[in-house]
Amino acid sequence: MSSRRSRSRQMSSSRITDEQINDLLTKLQAVLPEAHLRSTDRVSAAKVLQDTCNYIRSLHREVDDLSERLSELLANNDINSAQAAIIRSLLR
Amino acid sequence: MTISNGDGDSAAKDGRRERKRKRRAEPSLVKWKTEGEQKTYSSKLIEALRRVRRSSATGAASAATDHSRSRAVREAADRALAAAARGRTRWSRAILCGRTLKRRVLPRAGRPKPVGPARAAERSKPPALKTKARVLGRLVPGCRKLPLPSLLEEVSDYIAALEMQVRAMSVIAEALSAVGGAPSPAQTEGPI
Repeated sequence: MSSRRSRSRQMSSSRITDEQINDLLTKLQAVLPEAHLRSTDRVSAAKVLQDTCNYIRSLHREVDDLSERLSELLANNDINSAQAAIIRSLLR
Repeated sequence: MTISNGDGDSAAKDGRRERKRKRRAEPSLVKWKTEGEQKTYSSKLIEALRRVRRSSATGAASAATDHSRSRAVREAADRALAAAARGRTRWSRAILCGRTLKRRVLPRAGRPKPVGPARAAERSKPPALKTKARVLGRLVPGCRKLPLPSLLEEVSDYIAALEMQVRAMSVIAEALSAVGGAPSPAQTEGPI
């Protein structure tokens, strides 16, 4: 058991390996918007994290803008049942 | 065609066991891209929007500023999104537990780092990565003190969900701006 512990200290963690993190970072990079522009070989961890932060912030901003737009549209007229039915049919 | 139950069963069980482990670790990202999921979310969001409109109308009209209403819309959208996640991810549970809990968690964030193998894992990462990971953890609700692998999984699911939220809200906004403009229901059926 002691040998396992010393081995894990050398690998810098018992369960979480750098390979796992790299794999997750690659997957995350694939989700980011400019995934097709980047080469698939190099995954700079700092760049991926930075791009992810920026992307989440921009998504939050989009949601805020859409919420403002929706609240303005709501202020003018309530969504009665007829309009809700129409919207649902438009979505279909 | 006969289905052999002998070896195939144990192999299937192993595959199922592996798949079970993977399913727990990686929530499926594909579901956020399906049309069905987006339609379900859109319907729920429309209902929530009607509630917001009703509550802001019955309350003091002067107090219902544009900002508070858009804030209510944003929170309703986030709550509907978290409900769509069906409690499988940490960020969705954090949203559903209420945003006030986030403020209560803040004083506990000053706790010292955990001792033992976790410290060895953190030593392997350069400090620049650590700060970026911390910023990322602050952006995703409920993921401040998460270790990096779990954080990355939560982040990928959160991003997929946010993209669906943006798509659904854009569709609703377009539909509302096309249909709206007339408060009485009779006039809306005209152009359509």
